[in-house]
Amino acid sequence: MSPENSGNNQLATKNQRSQKRPQLSLDRFRIDATTYGTTVVLIVGIIITAIFQPVFLTVSNIANVLSQIAVLGILTMGQTIILISGGIDLSVGSNVALSGVAAGLLFLHGVPLWIDCIVALACATLIGLINGVLIAQNRAHPFIITLGMLTLLEGIAELVTGGSPVNDMGALATTLGGTIFFGIPTAVVLLFVVVVLTAFFLARTPLGRAAYAIGGNEEASYLSGVPIKRTKIYIYTLAGLIAGIAALTLSGILNAAEANIGTGLELQSIAAAVIGGTPLIGGRGGAWRSLQGVLLLGVVSNSLNLLSVGANYQNIALGIIVLIAVMVQKNR
Amino acid sequence: MLKVENVSKQFPGVQALSSVSLEVNSGRIHALVGENGAGKSTLVKIISGAQPPDSGRIIFNEVVFEEYSPAYASAHGISVVYQRQQLVPMLSVAENILLGEQPRRSRFLIDRSETYRIAGELLNRLRVDVDLRKKVIELTPAQQQEIAIAKALYRQAKLIILDEPTAALGPSQIERLFELVRDLCSHGISVLYISHHLEEIFRLADRITILRDGKHVTTQATTNLTQGAVVNLMAGHDPQRVNGPETIRAGMVDPDVRRNPIRSEECALLEIRGLTAGPVLRNIHLIVPKGQVVGVTGILGSGTHDIAQVLFGLMQPVRGEIRLSGASYTARNPRSAIARGVFLVPENPSRDGVVARMSIAQNITLVDLPAITRLGILQLKEESATARKYVSMLRIAAPSAVREVAKLSGGNQQKVLLAKALQAKAQLLILEEPTQGVDVNAKEEIHRIVQELAATGKAVLVISTDIRDLLLFTDRILVLREGQIVDDLPAGVADYTQILNLTLGVEEAE
Repeated sequence: MSPENSGNNQLATKNQRSQKRPQLSLDRFRIDATTYGTTVVLIVGIIITAIFQPVFLTVSNIANVLSQIAVLGILTMGQTIILISGGIDLSVGSNVALSGVAAGLLFLHGVPLWIDCIVALACATLIGLINGVLIAQNRAHPFIITLGMLTLLEGIAELVTGGSPVNDMGALATTLGGTIFFGIPTAVVLLFVVVVLTAFFLARTPLGRAAYAIGGNEEASYLSGVPIKRTKIYIYTLAGLIAGIAALTLSGILNAAEANIGTGLELQSIAAAVIGGTPLIGGRGGAWRSLQGVLLLGVVSNSLNLLSVGANYQNIALGIIVLIAVMVQKNR
Repeated sequence: MLKVENVSKQFPGVQALSSVSLEVNSGRIHALVGENGAGKSTLVKIISGAQPPDSGRIIFNEVVFEEYSPAYASAHGISVVYQRQQLVPMLSVAENILLGEQPRRSRFLIDRSETYRIAGELLNRLRVDVDLRKKVIELTPAQQQEIAIAKALYRQAKLIILDEPTAALGPSQIERLFELVRDLCSHGISVLYISHHLEEIFRLADRITILRDGKHVTTQATTNLTQGAVVNLMAGHDPQRVNGPETIRAGMVDPDVRRNPIRSEECALLEIRGLTAGPVLRNIHLIVPKGQVVGVTGILGSGTHDIAQVLFGLMQPVRGEIRLSGASYTARNPRSAIARGVFLVPENPSRDGVVARMSIAQNITLVDLPAITRLGILQLKEESATARKYVSMLRIAAPSAVREVAKLSGGNQQKVLLAKALQAKAQLLILEEPTQGVDVNAKEEIHRIVQELAATGKAVLVISTDIRDLLLFTDRILVLREGQIVDDLPAGVADYTQILNLTLGVEEAE
């Protein structure tokens, strides 16, 4: 292409000049205000707690914190993918409950555990698929569609259990509920694997990229030939599968399944993602950021426990943290 | 009644208005005309308080405006009825007319029956026959406009500004509007009427003010002017501006491609026969050969953008045949259009074209993710290499290809979209208003890039209302009026006034 244009040359020189500065690397590893903010709050929180309650930094307490947040962390990964694509999923909590109950009831009736697990994962994935199809085919907002799904799933779970918990998950309790090597809880390892896979999915697969694009500008994505409906269906289906993994983990840790066990998890997963830096408006965020939100919630609640703060005050503190996190993001 | 005195307004890089004065008399219809970018909308915004002038003043009914806000202008009796209505769709007609100033029973209770009584009286007086209880969303555009006018009157408007009021109306609805406007005037209300349709203006207006390049050209009684004279005054006669293209083109493009526009159908990349689609397009015939830049122009509502919509799968044709490289072509959606080698750069890149939070590289590759995917994994090195190639080729001014697109200027965002078209291996590029809102340098660069793309054998269809701009870089210009092609002019032959006349449907004046 011929460069004969004076205004153009001006731009080009400016361009070259700035390229000499190490801006490229800064751009790539740009430190985001929100990520940074959450990290600072997280570290400060850990230090303060450690000063007042040295027991906080013991291996057993750290393992305790991590296993407490494992289920929420796994669930938040699915929620993160959906939030990035500009959607929301309120049904993940009840999906966890129903899938867990499905596995538990089958086990109770003597079906081998591995089949129970596959059925639970399939059930969770199917629920995600239904969400995705309804959202892709309808103009209704995902908020209301998944709210409907939440109520529906809770109803079904209540119906099949008759309201009473399933109290034996067999080997699931010793595997997923137990520890793997060096006393590390299996659930924590599973969380780590899910986070790494989600981060990889978002950064390195076409579908993950499409999620950012649709959440960032659905119209522009459509005009770029991104298959909007298909992408949404895949993403909700994937979030369903992740909810299934969370369901098995929770059943293992508790050695039980119950119809109302997931209540509130959907809102916690949204709150954790938002605190971590995956906002509701779509097109932004990521797995590691959301994980920071989960960790922050876990650390705060653990330290308040160690400081013997009552449950009501704990809720107040958590509420304030959510509000602060959201306001920091709005000011960006 | 309304006096505009020496009003000037500057925007970054543009003098939108320079020392414009005009006077609108009470009970008169005053028309404001000028081509796109002449400063009409800026003037309207200043009069209605949406923007303050840099200098000069507005005097209305002997009051010198001290403040520029819509509330202030409205309180003094100035009301604008925009092309897009400012009504609340889900509220009833009566509630809309009285919105915000409804009669009350007490501090917190609205008096519904009084609301309906007042609205009913007002519509009776205007002889508008609309059910007061209907929601505004159920009304036709014509009815919505009448309600907007009624709303202005309820707020004691003394000057009503109508901005392209007939754009969405049919012939009988236009007559009805004219009646209403004349009726307002007989009650002492003034109307400032802005329109591209000169015929309407000559039927309606008492006086006409012509703006060109932000300057006041003349204000005359309608009876002293002819439509041809108005077009000449709108266009101005500046031979340099009309003959500009050759100087820019010289030496840029392979002369063989340009001087021998290939008309034979074997080389036609795009061929449209008898296309009928959307509300206006009727029986369009159009051929775009390889290597040509074809401009399509026409005023708002003439159907120019519908051609782009059909080609990109955003609108389905009713009748007609489209062939691309000789094969029958239909596009169900943008995805299938892109797969066939057609790419559309939309009118407003920052809104509909780019994903602002993603990087230049991510925006470019979005159009064809499989191209950088191996075994289901995005090859990020390949992605940034691809992007760097386009950044240097199209001279996108950015420190690096990972720069967020939101941080680029309009002209550079436009270039990112052109890069996307190249990455999509498009054979036919459709550009909608490609130089709208970009600065002069970027405009020239875009002209050059488009011509270079054509020189590599691509066909380019440029849809624009900016006739001067089209003259600078297209090979042919098609003129649309009311959904039909009224002329097809080689760019070397066409001149600005002639095309403007054609778009407006005015007979050429000597």
